[in-house]
Amino acid sequence: MRSQPFVMLLLAVLVLGLLGSTAVAQDTQTLTVSIWGFNLDVLEENVFAPFEEMHNVDIVLDTGNNSDRLARLQAEGENSDIDVVHFATQFTHIASQEDLLQPFNPDMLENLDELYDWAQDPLGNGAGVGYTVNSLSLIYRSDLIEGGITSWADLLRDDVAGFVSIPEMSTTFGPAALIMVDRALAMQAMDEGEEPGEINYDADLAWEALPQLADNLVTTYIRSSELTTLVQEEEVWVAPYASFAIGNLINAGHDLSTVVPEEGVVGQTNMISITAATDQVELAHAYIDWFISHDIQEAEALDLIDSPVNATVELPEEICALLTCGEMLDTMIVLDQAEVSDRLEDWLERWNEIMVR
Amino acid sequence: MIRRPNQTRTIILLVCPALIFVLVFFVLPLIFLLSQSVLPEDGGFTLSGYLEFFQSRVSWIVYLRTLKLGLIVTGICVVMAYPAAFVLARMPPRRRSFLVSLVILPLMTNAVARTFAWLIILGRRGMINQTLLSLELVENPVRFIFTETAIVLGLTQLFLPLMVLPLVSAMENIPDDVLEAARSLGANRLTTFLRIVVPLSSDGLVLGATLVFTGSVTAFVTPAILGGSRLLLMSTLLRQKAVILFDQQAAAVVAVVMILTTLAVNLLLRVGRVQQG
Repeated sequence: MRSQPFVMLLLAVLVLGLLGSTAVAQDTQTLTVSIWGFNLDVLEENVFAPFEEMHNVDIVLDTGNNSDRLARLQAEGENSDIDVVHFATQFTHIASQEDLLQPFNPDMLENLDELYDWAQDPLGNGAGVGYTVNSLSLIYRSDLIEGGITSWADLLRDDVAGFVSIPEMSTTFGPAALIMVDRALAMQAMDEGEEPGEINYDADLAWEALPQLADNLVTTYIRSSELTTLVQEEEVWVAPYASFAIGNLINAGHDLSTVVPEEGVVGQTNMISITAATDQVELAHAYIDWFISHDIQEAEALDLIDSPVNATVELPEEICALLTCGEMLDTMIVLDQAEVSDRLEDWLERWNEIMVR
Repeated sequence: MIRRPNQTRTIILLVCPALIFVLVFFVLPLIFLLSQSVLPEDGGFTLSGYLEFFQSRVSWIVYLRTLKLGLIVTGICVVMAYPAAFVLARMPPRRRSFLVSLVILPLMTNAVARTFAWLIILGRRGMINQTLLSLELVENPVRFIFTETAIVLGLTQLFLPLMVLPLVSAMENIPDDVLEAARSLGANRLTTFLRIVVPLSSDGLVLGATLVFTGSVTAFVTPAILGGSRLLLMSTLLRQKAVILFDQQAAAVVAVVMILTTLAVNLLLRVGRVQQG
């Protein structure tokens, strides 16, 4: 039986392997992070791998878009294995309302004070920390639109009729675009020298103008990739765009100009939160603190992945021009997500009424 | 025919896996969906979801538009598939097999890639507009995409194979002798087709029409890309309710209305076939 020593050796290796893996499993913790499926290779290099090494932890990713991941969290409730979740603000708001998140402890986040005020606790209830900001601004075909675009109200102009697209009301930036059109119309109606007041979340003027804006639309878009295709195929000449999509839009291959409208741009933070179901509270705080630290914020910005919200980060001008940072932050309006979310159901109904005509 | 006990046991054993699969992954979720549409989270029983749906002008517009597009696509597929299936069914097996594989080619390509191809064909810089412009038939590009026509084109391309295949299968079973007998009794080609081929292939027609109609009214990607977000259909309305508003009851209502509609159309087709028979 010449094979006997070989079988014994194989068994020994298997037993040792099992013992070894058990020992590793006992020492190594797991942190399950729910996040979008974009740029994971860069995130792995900048964020996950160093964090895993520092804390002797395995990061397991649960990827998908906001709604899919929120639906999973809702379905699993207390049995969820997600420890930390990345959401756009409006989805953090929903998760928070449904008690799917637990408040963070500011004392456990050393870097929290370095963040801009609006990023420290965007919802004001401790549901999560803002770790990056996207802005909604305007982009247009400078070779086709005479006189350029300077205001959100320009989306209503006759000379761009049939070549406008705006984000669908059901998307993250849909309500924001409408609110900015409202602000533009309100500012147009102001007397000279008068200062614009607070944001009007009812957006009455924009709703009045929406049928006219609807006539100007070629279509609405849900994903930024759709906007890129529309611009590429010359179906769209002017549209609000989310800052994270600028790279693809520039690659669309036309004379495109970006503009910071007179009324400003809308800022939307992406947030990291700790789930109510997790028992890895300390590790979850360490993860958030790591993500908002100067070094990670800088690395992510230099790779053009996330605009920094850590005020200590200083970026080269050419990098800053492609992100939401610098002077743009001075005119940036951060919407109160609770105000927007409270109106969303009614707004979708009104939006559908006008769009199905 | 008398069946032996062994045969019955074999049939049960053969059917069981599929039956269990359908029960667990289709019938049970369907019952859950139905209950979700009438049982609110806070308990009790209510038809308010259905009332809200049918009282909403938007819902009616969306529902009728979806129904209309489903019927148009099914109608076009029937008209296009019948002659093609008739020719295919009468071909030598090798040639038929090759052509059938060409027919199902659209089903073998990715839905998003296929629809984006339409976007490029129908777009302002697309093939059709370039041809029209070069022939000086139009001065400016014509807008084809983001219209109901674009949705109909995309869905017809997608679902035509689902009409052709059952029809070919049904027509293969029509003996050549029957057609020759009809002709020898004085029936011309059209009469033979309408009085002999169509009735004898009605099983395939019912199956194909059900598949095409169901596919058309439930399709999401093609209408969303070719029609744009403004042309709301039932599937896009369902998405709004489920993943934007997280209103599971309203989403379940939309889903149940869609299922009942496809069942009703299937029933109508079957009744029509029986009456014809």
